[in-house]
Amino acid sequence: MIAGARQGKLSGLRRLTALAMARDLRAFIVPGADIARAHGLDIEAAGMQVVASPRHASVLLVVGVIPPALREAAAVIYAQMMRPRALFVLGPDELDQLPEADIREDLSQQDLIRGVRRLRSAFAEGAFRPDVADFDAPVLHVRIQYTCPMHPEVVQDEPGSCPKCGMNLVAREAPATAGHTHADQPELIVDADTHATPAQDHAAQHGMNHDAPAEYTCPMHPEVVQNEPGSCPECGMNLELRETKGTKSHEDAGISPDSDHSSMDHNHMDHGDMAFMSMVGVTKDLPRSSDGLPMDWIDVPFGPFFPGLPGGLLLTLTLDGDTVAGSSVQTPGGNEELLQHSALDAGSFIERLAKVEPLAPVSYRLLACRATENAAGVEVPAATACARVGALERERIASHLGWLALFGQQTGFDWLQRCAASLQLKVQNAGIRQVLALKPDIAFLIKRLHRTPLLKSRTAGVGRLAPNAALRGPVARAAGIGNDARSTDPSYAALGFTPVCREGCDALARLQVRVEEITHGLALIVAAGAIELPAPINIGEASGAGEAAVETPRGVARLRLTLEKGRVTAAQLETPSTLHLALIDPLIKQLALGDALLAIGSLDLAPWEVRQ
Amino acid sequence: MSAQTFFIGFFGLAAVWFGVVVFRTHSMVRSALALLFSQTALGALFLSMQAEFLGVLQIMMMATEMSIMAIFMVMFMMDPGGLGEMDMTHQKRLSLAAGFVAFAAAVAAAVFVDWGPVAGVAPDAAQQTHDLGIELLGRSMLIFETAGVTILTAMIAATAVAMPAVKRIGNK
Amino acid sequence: MTTVLVLLLLLAAGTYLVAVLEAWTASGRFRLAGPVVAGIALLGREFIVPRKPDRIFFEVAPVLLLLSALLAAAVVPLTPDLIITDLATGALFINAALVYVLVALLMAGWGPNGAYAMIGGWRFLGQLIAYAMLIVMPITAVVMRAESLLTTRIVASQAGLWNIVYQPLGFMLFFVAAMALAFLPPFDLPTAKAELAGGVEAEYSGVRLAIFRLGRLALIVTLAAAAVVFYLGGWQGPWLPPWAWSAIKILAVCATMLLAGRAMPRVRDADLLHWCWILGIPLALLNIFLVGLLVLVLP
Repeated sequence: MIAGARQGKLSGLRRLTALAMARDLRAFIVPGADIARAHGLDIEAAGMQVVASPRHASVLLVVGVIPPALREAAAVIYAQMMRPRALFVLGPDELDQLPEADIREDLSQQDLIRGVRRLRSAFAEGAFRPDVADFDAPVLHVRIQYTCPMHPEVVQDEPGSCPKCGMNLVAREAPATAGHTHADQPELIVDADTHATPAQDHAAQHGMNHDAPAEYTCPMHPEVVQNEPGSCPECGMNLELRETKGTKSHEDAGISPDSDHSSMDHNHMDHGDMAFMSMVGVTKDLPRSSDGLPMDWIDVPFGPFFPGLPGGLLLTLTLDGDTVAGSSVQTPGGNEELLQHSALDAGSFIERLAKVEPLAPVSYRLLACRATENAAGVEVPAATACARVGALERERIASHLGWLALFGQQTGFDWLQRCAASLQLKVQNAGIRQVLALKPDIAFLIKRLHRTPLLKSRTAGVGRLAPNAALRGPVARAAGIGNDARSTDPSYAALGFTPVCREGCDALARLQVRVEEITHGLALIVAAGAIELPAPINIGEASGAGEAAVETPRGVARLRLTLEKGRVTAAQLETPSTLHLALIDPLIKQLALGDALLAIGSLDLAPWEVRQ
Repeated sequence: MSAQTFFIGFFGLAAVWFGVVVFRTHSMVRSALALLFSQTALGALFLSMQAEFLGVLQIMMMATEMSIMAIFMVMFMMDPGGLGEMDMTHQKRLSLAAGFVAFAAAVAAAVFVDWGPVAGVAPDAAQQTHDLGIELLGRSMLIFETAGVTILTAMIAATAVAMPAVKRIGNK
Repeated sequence: MTTVLVLLLLLAAGTYLVAVLEAWTASGRFRLAGPVVAGIALLGREFIVPRKPDRIFFEVAPVLLLLSALLAAAVVPLTPDLIITDLATGALFINAALVYVLVALLMAGWGPNGAYAMIGGWRFLGQLIAYAMLIVMPITAVVMRAESLLTTRIVASQAGLWNIVYQPLGFMLFFVAAMALAFLPPFDLPTAKAELAGGVEAEYSGVRLAIFRLGRLALIVTLAAAAVVFYLGGWQGPWLPPWAWSAIKILAVCATMLLAGRAMPRVRDADLLHWCWILGIPLALLNIFLVGLLVLVLP
């Protein structure tokens, strides 16, 4: 039995299709394939196919903890899926916006496989049901309002007639208003077309400032201005609504300031002396993009569960044709509370910090260990420090392989995606022997990558970032900045470490740096000779202030903390992705869509570690 | 009524109907594609009149042209999506007058021109193509073909020259 | 009538095998029953109409895609007699039918009123500007050698020497352009999964998605068949019967097309236009010129 069954009796032909559906499970992963891999899950091996659009999915696979900010988005994704659809939750999370999970399992590959088996029988038996209730969540509702075509100031939530003129009110999708703090969420969702897609929905955009004084004008004859809609006396075109200048009323509601570009562009044009239907005249005041073609601008949401971006990243691009004219980024920021706590004993603090970032748990665990040790003034034995290097480098290799998988997915390079993903799964929890056994496979991957046609021309020159202080990690090293927290680390110095450096400043250089760091990481693991997860050292009742820096796979993370009698009372974390996030907007301006996504991908952002 | 007459009538009416749709819709993409299908119906009309080469050519050429027209309309006009209830007609009186004059002229041409004797059987397709070429170009065939290839080469060369040199920053 | 039925059945069989091949190249799993299971499952699933769609476009597009592939297949001979209609303008007709792939994709992109689909649809229009000439001009050279637009004559003209040897340049250009026409990787710009979440396919579900994918697979088979007729000597070959040669060659071309794109990243649309116009079209002109010389010189 599944809650999202399709209406109908399970009989005859439907039974056959139900059996087929049970065999053919297509999963849309929330928050993303990268998170699933970080948790050690191989979705395809478990028997499900991963799809890119919720419309093609029959299973919504929720992996791990979903912060409250993303739950509404997940509910919208669920609503967009074809029935019969099932909700498959891995992990202990409560999902308030979604219906009760059809299958719930723990976060591990065995549990995933068992869940898939249960899912199959649930589909075979319960794909069709005569009595099904529609899925309903508050987030799916907020956007329908009724308004009077003559009196745009009349807006209400129920249909009816206008109190001023008695006309029937017409339905329209309501824009984000200050009253609904989350009403702009649906626009940030992948595939938001059950909601107002900014693309072609001018009606909604024109109604944006609905209580501003409105006037109607002819797009062709600006001298025609009247207070009521109608048609132009000169050319017969329908008049368009425009707001009187200086009444930007609702832009504080969290929507991007770019969101009504199109209406703005139209209204501020001056067609005074142009010839009828002259393209030059019509377009002369539109903003120009790099390709010189003026076009209607649209806002397109990418994320938070977009297949080509790190899971959880909420990106809204203002597109001018296929070119990016502007962007805004948001991250879930759902882990903030991990540091806003009352005093914690050091052990739980380390566990807590290790969960800050699902994509690099070892690095953050190590960071917390080092900071507490530093504060307590405890020295770590050299052998342990060396084994910790092994663990950190193993994570770096796994993380870079995961990045290669995302890169392969972004560029449609299927072989790379598959190969890198399977290697990542093998490496990330491997012991030293297994890592060494995987060396030839990794070497083969890298060799083949070097020989791939088109790869250079696809990445060279994309996402150029001049060397500056905000760059961290591989992004900085690809810009020729050799700063690497490992250089000052004595345990690394003992293993003969030198940072990888490139001068290219672009996506290609970042790719090369990461690939080279995989090779270097393997060499470091061999030199270290052991892999051991950083474990908290007993610090007793020590007090003091300490700090530590660890070169995570994405760059240096710093932690400052205060210990009081063995308990952490204050902590301050600085992460590389926080700085990189601010680089996105200038980075992708005027790039073509594919290049823009590639440039963002080349930064290897971890939305989860961002602190706001 | 033979099948041929039926299809001629059918595609003729379809062409006219799609032509009407061009002006009755509020969406520019619909308008452009309606024009395309009107032209496609004309191509099918040629086919049913056994003018194979002309028909296939018409069907092929129009698809690309109208699609490109559609994107330019969407790019440049202020009302994409047709959600603004845009009216596709303008200068109504002038267009009405022009339409009637053109229609009358076409009918007059059809009725009053001496079309010569009716052919018993349509020549085969290869012969038709040959005849069409001779009819259109006559002795100047070679000149026109040379000019055609020259113009094409010039167009390609112009495109090549117009493209800015792609800057590739070398990586070592 | 029987010819039509036989050819439709063969096309269906070819489509099925290509579906198996595509799943294999995409996921690394070879499952013979995969496509039929997926197809039946899609029949049972819901068909969602997005909000505010252009309903006519949305419904017509998958059918038009399938139709244009089928129409193009109608003039492709599998054996000297196994052809639905041997049009006197056959080689041109293939072109005319396949241009409607563009129209179908534009409609599929515009219909659902969604940004991803719309960008995907318009991207394909840009792609057409790149590949269109590289379909037409190599065919011109093929037709020059055969001195006929009849597809059966084109096959017959290769009795001594296949066109892949006679005009290898033309074959390469046609092959690449055919991949771009069928939006196969690395030219899958309109359906890019990680750039547009499926692009023109993104909004389709249920039966319409099944039709769309079927149309796309039929398109691949048709293009491979066209490549076989134009360049690989059609049904000709020793020992085996003609139909077997056609089938083997078509499947081999399909497999090559599917495999070629998996080992490289997607081409950038600007680069595709750049290469097609700077390199492709001059090469195609050169090909026409060379074939013209050969036709004059060789008996």
